[in-house]
Amino acid sequence: MAADLVPLTVAAPLVAAALLAALAQFLPRWVPDLTAIVVAAGVTALGVLLTLASRAHPIVYWFGGWRPAGGTALGIDFVVEPLSASLVALTGLLTTTSLVFSWRYFEEVGHLYHALVLALLAGMAGFALSGDLFNIFVWFELMSVSAYALCGYQIHQSAVVQGAINFTVVNSTGAFTLLLGIVLVYGRTGALNLAEIGEALGSRPPDGLVTVAFTLITTGLLVKAGAVPFHFWLSDAYAVAPAPVGALFTGIMSDLAYHTFARVYWDGFSGALGSASAAVRDGLLALGVASAVIGAVMCLLQADLKRQLAFLTVSHGGVFLAGIALLTPRGLAGATLFVITDGLLKAALFLTFATVVRSLGSGDELALHGRGRTPREALPALIFLCCALGFAALPPFGTFLSAALIHDSPGPGWPFPVLAACLAVTSAAFLRAGARIFLGWGPRHDPLLTSAPGKPGEPGEPGDGEPDHGGGGAARGRTALLIPALALVAAAYATAFVPGVAAEFITASHSFEQPRQTAHQVLTGHLPPSPPSASYTPTPGAWTTAAAATAAALALAAVSLRTPGSRPGRLRRVLVPPAKALKSLHDGEVGDYTLWFTTGLLALGLAWTLTLR
Amino acid sequence: MNTRTRALLFLPLGAALAAFLLWGLAGLPDFGSTQGPYARYLARHATAQRHVTNVPTSIVFDYRALDTLGEELILFTCVMGTALLLRSSREAEEQRPSDRPTSAAQRHLVSLLIPVTVLLGLWTISYGYLTPGGGFQGGVVCGAAALMLWAAGGYRDHRALTPTGLVDAAEGLGAAAYIGLGLAVLAAGHAFLANVLPLGSTGTLASGGTIAVLNWATGLEVSAATVLVFHEFLKEYVQTLPGAAED
Amino acid sequence: MTALTALVLTAVAVLGVAVVLARDPLRQVMLNGLFGLSQVLLFTVLQAPDVAISMAVVSTVAYPAVLLMTIHRVGPQDRG
Repeated sequence: MAADLVPLTVAAPLVAAALLAALAQFLPRWVPDLTAIVVAAGVTALGVLLTLASRAHPIVYWFGGWRPAGGTALGIDFVVEPLSASLVALTGLLTTTSLVFSWRYFEEVGHLYHALVLALLAGMAGFALSGDLFNIFVWFELMSVSAYALCGYQIHQSAVVQGAINFTVVNSTGAFTLLLGIVLVYGRTGALNLAEIGEALGSRPPDGLVTVAFTLITTGLLVKAGAVPFHFWLSDAYAVAPAPVGALFTGIMSDLAYHTFARVYWDGFSGALGSASAAVRDGLLALGVASAVIGAVMCLLQADLKRQLAFLTVSHGGVFLAGIALLTPRGLAGATLFVITDGLLKAALFLTFATVVRSLGSGDELALHGRGRTPREALPALIFLCCALGFAALPPFGTFLSAALIHDSPGPGWPFPVLAACLAVTSAAFLRAGARIFLGWGPRHDPLLTSAPGKPGEPGEPGDGEPDHGGGGAARGRTALLIPALALVAAAYATAFVPGVAAEFITASHSFEQPRQTAHQVLTGHLPPSPPSASYTPTPGAWTTAAAATAAALALAAVSLRTPGSRPGRLRRVLVPPAKALKSLHDGEVGDYTLWFTTGLLALGLAWTLTLR
Repeated sequence: MNTRTRALLFLPLGAALAAFLLWGLAGLPDFGSTQGPYARYLARHATAQRHVTNVPTSIVFDYRALDTLGEELILFTCVMGTALLLRSSREAEEQRPSDRPTSAAQRHLVSLLIPVTVLLGLWTISYGYLTPGGGFQGGVVCGAAALMLWAAGGYRDHRALTPTGLVDAAEGLGAAAYIGLGLAVLAAGHAFLANVLPLGSTGTLASGGTIAVLNWATGLEVSAATVLVFHEFLKEYVQTLPGAAED
Repeated sequence: MTALTALVLTAVAVLGVAVVLARDPLRQVMLNGLFGLSQVLLFTVLQAPDVAISMAVVSTVAYPAVLLMTIHRVGPQDRG
């Protein structure tokens, strides 16, 4: 029964998008708004239903009814298992929230806006579920092209054009890289289905073609995910996306690519690379930790709220990648749960920024110094605080449970203290911004922080990418705008208290990491045995680390608010030159970004050339 | 970093990248030497299973029809995204569109070519599952006719014959028809996009079942998308013509 | 591989590089059209007529038209 509903995850939003594009011009504004919300909510419900229905074993759906013949896949399949399905539910939930928010947020909106958001939703759902390598590329492209257009929505602002162009150029490069990898795999195996590729590559040690193809596919997906050094476009683009769209980008779009990478690795490559899994793990861990560190440092050095959140996305993406890279059920379960809880918080914060920009007239923490000290701003301040503490894995809530799973996974122990420190640093950036805006603490100027380009702290300018609205600070319907954000925060915090959620995720990850069983089910239809049930409670070590991270975040926020004259302030002056150097790498030059892309690809390729045996 | 430094830095990196890619490509089977299991299966069975003589079309609209759905929606999204951005960057619709005088010879020649082009496009679509061609290829040819309309008659005629509302609607409905067929099949109790219509006799226009329907839906969507792209870019273009600024 | 395939492949490679090296956008559009045409030949030689037809209409009509209109539109600011 649930299996018959699988195609609706992509078909429903797409048919609604097509019909809205055709007919919305003749209808009153509320029709497209309501239709889009209903469809997105439907996808959310479908995601939840499929998560529950696929707990015993994955659901394999063959489009067109083309079942494999003699081990050869003829059509395209979606493989629905709890991890992917729960990410579809998250995608649907964030899209619903984003659409509810934009209903009141945009005073006027073209009839094509809803069509593009729904196309983005369908692209993300298909990207999460598809079991066919080329089909994954198709959904990758669909979600990219709708994201390019949505990112450039306020096209008359020059920063928006710049950000959207960087986004388009670098992501298209990533897409071609992915496609080239797929071509190599198809040339070798003659197959596009992931299960069939896994069987065809078999357990022979990887040769040049497999190494190159795996590097290209990994790179292509990591560009979309925004891992260091492929992340440069991300801060340019997310900083200029209008709030409801930016919430989707930062909340789910980037992190989905990590999940798809995990599926491609296990289903397609883990057989061939299994004997060299330590090399795979180390390569990915290096990228994950680099992303977490560079993202966290850059996050702390921004004054522009949207840029802070963009770099937090890079940093936390590194944490997910590290969790996946451990190649253990606990690591994967923790990473997936982190994508969900952290995604809810990030989306909530992005929406809250937009209301702050609208009511206080700027999106820059220095320019907003003390301007939020009114009772009217209590609700945004509360959301700020909850999100910031959530980013530091505050026990015992949702993000803590996710981080604890990664912490308690077997594997090398060195990354976790680094990752916990990165969580603390990103959290401190938002605690600092919140204290400055809503409490008026700290100095008005800080040489370490970069303001939004072109208008350093200039008051009265709306944030880039946000619609221009008549008259400053319209409070009309503000609480209504904040309710969706508050709901997301509550959901993120409450995730930890869903009974058995951690154990369910570990069980699901356990089957996820049995690619031979999945391949057998996909290609012959034989159901795998039920996975062993798991249980989990966070260890004392995880509690201590998370509590330390929260404390460190508070301490670091306090230090970073000291005035430049005081002793810690003088100490911080030493940090200005290296901070400048790091920032100068993020210069908005798309040519430089491409150079970094090539460097990253080659570094990963060289490392794997030497270690994959 | 200036362009020169970047080029110098890229030189060694590009060389290394080329070597890396060549290493991977060297692992491919020799040119034309092997046929994968998928290709082998389809070459042997596709015509018998689907009653179409152009096997690629049966892959595009049947075996891997979901890919085509996604690709069609990529085109749809690209065009809608372009339209959204260009329309919002234009302040107001121009009142009296300026035009570019064309010679009588050009007008007559192009006018003659328009029906030929449309016919060629329709032919390419209709015979898509018998001979090379199909909805995508034919759709672009049909769309190109709209551009010729501008070349022959001028911008005013082009605008009159391709009103934005109509083209938007045609594009959306073409895409919706493709998905709608899949949903109808699903509602009837089969797999999404399964080919449940009678397959007809091989080698005639009445063959292929849903392949023919999906082919036409794609043709409509692609024609409209092509017209819409030309329509939006022409609007941009005519603003640069002398006379546009004086309005 | 026949001599014809080798010849067409060479043409694709040479024209592809030429497109990248061209600095003037107008020249680039023309070269890109030729590059597309060389790919049409390649697909025909490799017996993929469906792809050849797509490439023919897109690379010689649709793409250049859009590019030319765009270059004309943004031209005055860029040509300085």
